[in-house]
Amino acid sequence: MIPRLTFLLMFSISCIFGQTPTATEIVDRVTTIMSPENSYSKGTQTIITSSGKERVFEFDSWAAEKGKSSLTRYTKPAAIRGQAFLMLNNADDIWSYFPRTKRVRKLASHAKKQKMQGSDFTYEDMGGGDVFQTKFKSTLIAEETRDGEQVWKVEMIGIPDQDPPYPKIVLWARQSDYYPVALDYYNEIDFNTKSLVMSDIQMIEKYPTAMTMVMTDNKERSSTTMRTLEITYSWQPPKSFFSERNLKK
Amino acid sequence: MKFWGLLILLPSLLWAQPEFFGYFESEADIMQLGSERYNFGYNKFRLDVEARPSDHVQIGANINIQHYWGQTTWNIYDFIPSFGETAQAYNVDLPDTLLLDNVYMKLSFSLFDFTVGRQQVSPGVGYAWNPTDIFNTKSLMDPSYEQTGVEAFRLDIPLGNRSSIIAVVLPEAEMDQSTQQYTLKTGLGSFDLAATTTYQANYDWSSPLLGRYDLVERNIFGGSVIGELVGWGVWVEGAYNILQLEMPLWSSYRPPDPEETFTEYIVGTDHTFDNSIYFLAEYLHNGFGAAEKEDLSLTDYFSALGGASHSLMQDYLFMYAMHPTFDFVSLSTLVFANLNDNSGTFAPQMDWNAFEDTNISLQGSLFWGEDDTEFGIQDWGLRLRFRSDF
Repeated sequence: MIPRLTFLLMFSISCIFGQTPTATEIVDRVTTIMSPENSYSKGTQTIITSSGKERVFEFDSWAAEKGKSSLTRYTKPAAIRGQAFLMLNNADDIWSYFPRTKRVRKLASHAKKQKMQGSDFTYEDMGGGDVFQTKFKSTLIAEETRDGEQVWKVEMIGIPDQDPPYPKIVLWARQSDYYPVALDYYNEIDFNTKSLVMSDIQMIEKYPTAMTMVMTDNKERSSTTMRTLEITYSWQPPKSFFSERNLKK
Repeated sequence: MKFWGLLILLPSLLWAQPEFFGYFESEADIMQLGSERYNFGYNKFRLDVEARPSDHVQIGANINIQHYWGQTTWNIYDFIPSFGETAQAYNVDLPDTLLLDNVYMKLSFSLFDFTVGRQQVSPGVGYAWNPTDIFNTKSLMDPSYEQTGVEAFRLDIPLGNRSSIIAVVLPEAEMDQSTQQYTLKTGLGSFDLAATTTYQANYDWSSPLLGRYDLVERNIFGGSVIGELVGWGVWVEGAYNILQLEMPLWSSYRPPDPEETFTEYIVGTDHTFDNSIYFLAEYLHNGFGAAEKEDLSLTDYFSALGGASHSLMQDYLFMYAMHPTFDFVSLSTLVFANLNDNSGTFAPQMDWNAFEDTNISLQGSLFWGEDDTEFGIQDWGLRLRFRSDF
């Protein structure tokens, strides 16, 4: 608690004196605003391939401990109805449940790199927590205007021994509330492999929330749109909600 | 199938605003076996019904209707090397079926879940084999295919988020004839651990596909560990089996022994590479199998084909690789080999999600090995499968 108060005090002082926040401060604020304590949402995931083919998935998702624990259960289409994924410790521990075989299986962390139901999002992309803070070294590289908003542009370079999900990410965050509006993901040869754009940002129970997120694969020319149909941050997880028992329900 | 549960559960299902779902699946196969080529396949319709009358109650059932076509009578001896004068004909028919596969009710109390009825029970962490699983028989060509339900009482007692006790009892008229399995699961760091003890009796002694003995009872002490090492998924599952035997049913190569023990275990690993290729490998050692081709008897084949043993011989390797190559198309290959008789199968496959909820898969299979080996007795096969979920 004391470190957080110290941070807020220092940040307030820097704002009062009109100083530009450091990259670390921006990433801390982004992490805070993107990590409500708990949430429950219903959403859709629409995959559009380079040839224009489309697939739509629907899911329920629960998260707690600022995204450290999450559970996602697919409700549509029929072929994957009931498939569920439990992620603990910021997706370091993943369990899957397949209703077809009634089997719960622990997945190794490499599964985080797999595409979610063939979409352009990986499980890792959906993980919350403090990944930006702990696995990247950040540098503020520009102040820009993007879609009429003043934004900070921050370059985050992965710290090799922290097993970062990507070698480099460039993030744009609104100066008004530090909510991220876009991220570019780079591979080892500094090619911008994927781009994420957040839009239709609404204030839901005091938290700015992107109701639409579009991830574009710049190599395969495919895209996936995640739409939030309903969301609440007032959901309180029942005891032992993030457990194998609940995964199978 | 005992219908006592049906009488109670089906009316409850219909009363509780059930959800209906399921699939239609059609499969066409060609198999080259020596000089003979066979065409066969099936059409299968599965209808699932599920209802939740309250937060604490879940009722489910499914009915499978399966019609076979083409070659529907198989001579088991066509898949077994000749054993002198023994091999004549042992025909198995595949009749059209209308099967109430699962019908169960799950009651969720604050401290435990209790499931009663015909239900899938799938213990173990292995992909191709599960030494601790006495309830199911997996096909190496499609190990993740759904399994038939078993009539059981199941009790799940959670102990925190990662630990639980699971008790499964397959009830019979007398308790000592009821198969029982008790499992303790827990987590340690990034590993999941399970310890299992199983008591099994009451095999159908009249079946010629039983195996080599009259089996009075079987005790299994097993366990599994699954987790991660240096970025690779790793798992181990093993079982120590103690068989209490009566007089041998078959005149076998072994002298009768009132007690036989054997160990069975698997070791597996998997990984997803940066280029999206998923790779899995699993090794099986089954002490119940024959170590040498020359040791095999007819009853070993019957035992393996009938599912009484997880394998014919002792040592096997299974490998699977998959890549999501094109839009909604994945290419995969599975390879499995009997390391004792040096025979095996190479099976490339294409899966195409042609429409939402509709998949088409084409699988080829090439078998290698001598003609008198487990897999070498077959030549090649082709499987086309359509499936549409609703």
